[in-house]
Amino acid sequence: MESAKTLQKALIRANPKTDLYVDLAEAATGISLVAFLWIHMLFVGTILFGKQIFDLLAESLDKYYLAHIGIPAVIVIFLVHIFVAGRRAPWRLSDMQTTWRHARMIAHTDTWIWVGQVVTALIIVIMGSIHVWSVMYEWPITAAKSALRVDSGYLWFYVLLLLAGEYHAGFGLYRICVKWGLISNRRTAGWVLKVITVAIVAIGLGALYMFKKFGGAL
Amino acid sequence: MSNRQLKISVFRYNPNLPDDKPRMQEYQLEEQQGMTLFVALNKIREELDPSLMFDFVCRAAICGSCAMMINGKPRLACKTLTKDLPSEITLMPLPVFKLVGDLAVDTGTWFRDLQVRTEAWVHTDKEFDSQALEDRMDNETALAIYEPERCIECGCCVASCVTANIREDFIGAAGINRVARFMVDPRDKRSDAQYFEVVGNEDGTFGCVGLMACDDSCPIQVPLESQLAWVRRKMALAGLKL
Repeated sequence: MESAKTLQKALIRANPKTDLYVDLAEAATGISLVAFLWIHMLFVGTILFGKQIFDLLAESLDKYYLAHIGIPAVIVIFLVHIFVAGRRAPWRLSDMQTTWRHARMIAHTDTWIWVGQVVTALIIVIMGSIHVWSVMYEWPITAAKSALRVDSGYLWFYVLLLLAGEYHAGFGLYRICVKWGLISNRRTAGWVLKVITVAIVAIGLGALYMFKKFGGAL
Repeated sequence: MSNRQLKISVFRYNPNLPDDKPRMQEYQLEEQQGMTLFVALNKIREELDPSLMFDFVCRAAICGSCAMMINGKPRLACKTLTKDLPSEITLMPLPVFKLVGDLAVDTGTWFRDLQVRTEAWVHTDKEFDSQALEDRMDNETALAIYEPERCIECGCCVASCVTANIREDFIGAAGINRVARFMVDPRDKRSDAQYFEVVGNEDGTFGCVGLMACDDSCPIQVPLESQLAWVRRKMALAGLKL
């Protein structure tokens, strides 16, 4: 390898594995967050079977200390993911300009999907934080409280967060599969993940509909 | 049936002229049967504008000189038939590489730098004997080397890559694929740790975001998607063992 030409390059070389660890952390936190999000949506989806089942599940989260471990863990993973995956995004103005112009010029689907991943990431950072805060503030979770929240103007907030979250999760996992070659064919990987994402979005929209309905009746 | 009139809009700019400003210039010419963009450009230069700069050598998708952005996509001009394009065609030089003028870019300096940085040659302590027969190699290995070795260094993959466009030191798919070729070569005595030193970083395999524009743009279909993933996995394992 060519020799380091500057002090900073030489110092970076002193820890040659940093880039590997950061890349692995990006994939590991990403996979964890997708797993969390999908399970989270299945849990939320229990509202489709009625308030009792939803409340029972919410209670058991506390009863078995799942919430006590799970929520701080997810917040830490979320923050690490922002830091390690965020480094990929074009943050300098000139990089943003180049990225935007380039994406428009080559009109390449996967490149546009990635631009979408960056945009949804920003939406999730802001709205996800608000969501976590508002749920924690009213802890513990009950169907009645969630229904009131959705009915009191949060409906469109949640529709947007759901779409942004599932888009980012689905294509994020797709990206990991492609980068690491976890699935031999990216068309297959894309198709499978799109089906899962559409299913989860359907569950989410169904749950929002139920909350809205219960909220209106309260 | 009369032939189509082609409107070819070309990026014009000569960075060596102090007062020159980048602009688009339009040329009109009649489409001929079996016309490639390479033929069209030569016709423009011969009949309409001798000052137009563009590169070509082989006309047969072997030399990789005539890569350019054809309606926004990196393609070889010699391998692109005008009949597969709309009658309005926009031509831009490849991004990332140093602009020579108009459609001509200097891919040579970039690739030379790549070869030096990745030490793209067989590393061996075996004394070369010009009289001896070459060592035998099984067909499977030979094919595994041949596949990445097919790269013609046209630069389409690099030009299509967002990361290469915004990170100057990123070696791109061409670079990672180049190193992959030596990794499978039994004559190269480098260890995984040595390869990790070369590509196990953000300028190499871990800098790839995985947008696969390279894989979709390669004019000779080098399997870049699987090559990139293979190098990434191999380097991750090598790094973890260090």
